[in-house]
Amino acid sequence: MIFHDIVIVGGGLTGLMAAVEAPPGTDVALISKIYPTRSHSGAAQGGFNAAMAEDDSVENHVFDTVKGSDYLGDQDAIETLCSEGPEVIRKLEQMGVPWSRTPEGRPAQRSLGGASFPRACYSADISGHAVLHTLYERALAAGVRIYPEWHLVELLLEEGRLAGLLVYDLATGRLEVVRCRVALLATGGYGRIFRKTTNGHANTGDGTAIAYRAGAVLSDMEFVQFHPTTLYGTNILISEAARGDGGYLRNAAGERFMARYAPQKMELAPRDVVSRSIFQEIKDGRGLGEGYINLDLTHLGADKIHRLLPQVNELAHLYAAVDSSQTPIPIEPAQHYSMGGIRVNRDCETSIPGLLAAGETANVSVHGANRLGGNSLLETVVFGRRAGRRMLEMVKRPMPPRPRVSLERALSNWQANFGVGAPRQSDDSVFAIREDMGRIMTDKVGVFRTGVELKQAMEELAVLRSRYAALRVPAGEHSFNQQLIDHMELGFMLELSEMTAGAAWRRTESRGAHFRIDYPRRNDPDWLHHTLIRRGDDGRPIYEAGTVAFTRFQPQERGY
Amino acid sequence: MQLRLIIERFDPQTNDAAYRQTFTVDWERHETVLDVLLKARRQDPALAFRRSCRSGICGSCAMQIGNISRLACQTLVRDVTGDGGELEIKPLPGFRQLKDLVVDLEPFFAALKRVLPWVITGPHHDGLISPEVSARIETPATCILCGVCDAAIPQNGPVTSAALVKNVRLAVDPRDALGSERMKSAGLTGEGLQTFRELLANICPKGIKLPPVVQE
Repeated sequence: MIFHDIVIVGGGLTGLMAAVEAPPGTDVALISKIYPTRSHSGAAQGGFNAAMAEDDSVENHVFDTVKGSDYLGDQDAIETLCSEGPEVIRKLEQMGVPWSRTPEGRPAQRSLGGASFPRACYSADISGHAVLHTLYERALAAGVRIYPEWHLVELLLEEGRLAGLLVYDLATGRLEVVRCRVALLATGGYGRIFRKTTNGHANTGDGTAIAYRAGAVLSDMEFVQFHPTTLYGTNILISEAARGDGGYLRNAAGERFMARYAPQKMELAPRDVVSRSIFQEIKDGRGLGEGYINLDLTHLGADKIHRLLPQVNELAHLYAAVDSSQTPIPIEPAQHYSMGGIRVNRDCETSIPGLLAAGETANVSVHGANRLGGNSLLETVVFGRRAGRRMLEMVKRPMPPRPRVSLERALSNWQANFGVGAPRQSDDSVFAIREDMGRIMTDKVGVFRTGVELKQAMEELAVLRSRYAALRVPAGEHSFNQQLIDHMELGFMLELSEMTAGAAWRRTESRGAHFRIDYPRRNDPDWLHHTLIRRGDDGRPIYEAGTVAFTRFQPQERGY
Repeated sequence: MQLRLIIERFDPQTNDAAYRQTFTVDWERHETVLDVLLKARRQDPALAFRRSCRSGICGSCAMQIGNISRLACQTLVRDVTGDGGELEIKPLPGFRQLKDLVVDLEPFFAALKRVLPWVITGPHHDGLISPEVSARIETPATCILCGVCDAAIPQNGPVTSAALVKNVRLAVDPRDALGSERMKSAGLTGEGLQTFRELLANICPKGIKLPPVVQE
């Protein structure tokens, strides 16, 4: 059993930002399933939105975000996000972030989708990477105790509050109990439930599923962002910066087809709008090959591409064998971001006392039904910092009781992973179930949804869950037991898949990224509310309506 | 097409020494070494290797592929084998093998920590940096800490390769209070740094070309 005042789970932008908020000498531990610099925050390319320019304003940023969210975002949280943005960007500047610069030397800003102003601060097209490494460096400077390749297994609650964490050290193959006064989940999204996703292998939603199992309320799981431009086939992300810096989308006839769907914003309409437009073009027979669209950068010229979009150019070259200054890049939409997550207030507190959540793991909700490009990176640092600050206040509280009953239960759950005479993975396997899950999610819970297909998806996922229940892994304290990790991750993902499909089936309207062919209109009288999800006594999800916070902006028609 | 993947296996719990195991996998022309490793793992779920982003930005999957240290996710099978045949994969050399292709990264990150790898922001910083200077910082800041340079370049002086890249990145940052003083601790002459720069440009998966550092 080990002990720390503050425990942060997740070493991406949110977790690291929370960690560096603590003054030196504070007892902060950071547990991460991979080395922090391997976190998927590093794959983010576009930038961090903040109203920094004189002719931009926080109010503009708030309005763009509210409209982008299709009015489902909580306006009080959005105001927090946007108003703290500029200050946090300046703080990152002090910390050493290598921002790209204007001729005057200030952090440069570019246009991203759904924004009325070029307000994304960036570092070429490696913005996430640049800030991730800077924050990692600050965490080293601050003496944060880092436990790399430790996996969260279960949250331990005593007397209704968080008392500790059961974790698995991958290198030694041993379980450890970590007691703490307060913990933050910053474990990112769960894009890997989809076959076609930009997300890395680690993005399996562990923290979200574990919090749910421990009784935390989740929300808005039906809202899944599909990024319009991922490389055709591999779904590797091609940054929205490619369009922000002037790239065009073209169909088989070479037309800039966005003129049909978003005549004002064109390629820089929000992602939900652009992804639907791309699929519509393909559906109507104007796609290329077996179903892709071209992202054309050729008119930008090699010099601009190399300066502003070096990674985009490299990725296209390596994975699609395309020289982006000469030939358009073949792209298709794919899952990119989870708007839903653990329901939290603006101080990042979950429904479990002593447990906080922030970043993509959480739903605060600043993105509502659709996230704007550049707002999630901002969310990681703004709410990461807020979580850090809140934990510093909470750390003065007395130590929760030592985990006893909860630990016994967790250890017995743990034992259930291992097989004694249970069917080994001979005719079925985590790989087979995972493939089926990914296919169901991408085919039936994707950009265009129908009640019939969502119902089918729920039934098929339930079958997968029973197949999964029959699987066991060989017991033993093996180091780097990847087989065990695969097994646990699949369990988390199946749980999250069912809720995503279930919430999508339940919401009989179209809003933001959730588009129902059978209910193609937004329906404010019936559905202008969050979907809250908690685990019932029988282990099944219970869905309820939650209030959306309004401050200044009443719902309007959302044209671009 | 079929490929014979010869992978160096080692499990400290059951093996006295590393051994080679051959997996036969199907592959297609667009696939990377990481893609075929994932197929090998379906044949033996106990096969251990690190991976995450699969797009060359996280640095997890550095290993020795056909005798060259590189990232599995940004190495196309066809580039290292032509039309197939066989491909040998070993853990990153110079690092302790923990299991199969997983190596001990603790000494690597400890060496990095010794150079104080963060900007020590001077009080005079006004938040302004010219685009030219910023471009010089950006190139070494592309480093993903994959470990390939530590594996491939013999250490020259007290600072390991990736830590030296970080040193240069910080030395050219006008915010940093130590600035070019940092190069003294690296114990490299201008000539030594030039040699390192050339070696790095040839092997770095991100193709980092270190900017010149003006030393007093």
